[in-house]
Amino acid sequence: MLRKTIDIVDKNSQPAGRVAVLNTSEKRSDEWSLLLISVGAERDRQAFAQLFKHFAPLLKSFAQANRHQGWFPGLGEDLVQEVMIKVWQKAAGYNPEKASATTWIYTVARNCRIDMLRRKSNTQHLPLENEDYWHEPDEDTPVSLLRQKRSETKVQDSLSQLPKEQDEILRKVYLEGKSHAEASEELGLPLGTVKSRVRLALQKMQILVSPEYQDELSHES
Amino acid sequence: MSHNLSHHPDNVMLVEFSAGTLPTAESICVSAHLHFCEQCRTELLRLDQVGSQLLTEAEPAEIDESLFDTVMAKIDSAEASPKLATAEKVQSFPHSVSKLIKNPQHQPIWKRLSASVDIARFKTGQSEFEVALHRICAGGKTPKHDHSGVEYTVVLKGSFSDERSVYKEGDFLVRQPGDVHQPMGAQNGECICLSALQAPIKLSNPLGFLMKPLLRINPM
Repeated sequence: MLRKTIDIVDKNSQPAGRVAVLNTSEKRSDEWSLLLISVGAERDRQAFAQLFKHFAPLLKSFAQANRHQGWFPGLGEDLVQEVMIKVWQKAAGYNPEKASATTWIYTVARNCRIDMLRRKSNTQHLPLENEDYWHEPDEDTPVSLLRQKRSETKVQDSLSQLPKEQDEILRKVYLEGKSHAEASEELGLPLGTVKSRVRLALQKMQILVSPEYQDELSHES
Repeated sequence: MSHNLSHHPDNVMLVEFSAGTLPTAESICVSAHLHFCEQCRTELLRLDQVGSQLLTEAEPAEIDESLFDTVMAKIDSAEASPKLATAEKVQSFPHSVSKLIKNPQHQPIWKRLSASVDIARFKTGQSEFEVALHRICAGGKTPKHDHSGVEYTVVLKGSFSDERSVYKEGDFLVRQPGDVHQPMGAQNGECICLSALQAPIKLSNPLGFLMKPLLRINPM
């Protein structure tokens, strides 16, 4: 069940004269998003079991790749449990207009992972959980599903085609949980080189929306 | 709320925030900026897609058959226990900042720092940065100072200016060690900023002796 009407009109990035004909019933229809919606709306255990079967092995692998301070051998299964419980509890708040189920689950996993590592390596009381940093303002701007999907496709396609030197840094940061500085040390590269490789990768995936990049984008399309 | 901001965190900080590797104090500042900045929220959503894609491509690990039942049992027992009431929302500050204010009224407890500046320090569970709110009264001048560590500032209310620019609600500033500046509150009202100030590394910093007692840093 979708809570809001979906804004399918992409105001900014559709070049004049090339307006695509849109299917007005545009919805997120990938398997995982539909399953997640069922879990949220109907507490569907069958759907949850399918999500579990697909994501649990990936989440465990994601946790095991981590080499951040605080890592411990049981992190994999602990993370699977914590993330999947949160997925069940928070599924009703999943907004399919904004992100695919996979991206949503990634953000839950990222937040859980950093909290577990911080709790393990820190004896002080931590007043904030990682999800506190991700609180959306109430008057969040409506998002365009079409534009979301387009950027998802762009990220997917261009991520797989990144040169190895850019790809390896993103993997160190996202999977191993390294900072840019740590990545530069491990790869024996100056920090400036690491930063500029990441920047190039972000430009290729069209992630940057600052006005200074808009020209580059419109040249490409 | 979504006026165009001219001062943002750099790519490195956003990427590390998205990957969950940005340390606590910096994360609090980035989070406060995101509250005001639609542009950075959009970039972040796209960065999360990078993480999501890498998660999908991971080599699936083996999962013990019993794990699903363990999870379902935990879910059922959590649902059987009464839910905690959610804390009342205080909208005057970004969520991460409100949560740091520990008293029931969610009002910062101000301490006088100088004639025109008050400070309210936060406990954040890390020891590298002092995280605090600063309040500059309308037209108030702060003493000219330099830093021995990095300082991040996010304007939460009102505006202030220094030799370089005017900073408005949501603007995110970084001052490098050695930068000298003299912030001044806007004439038309008080200005409240969130700041994270890196504690000096003892003995190794030749500028340390310049620190005025007024600006002594207390990470907590």
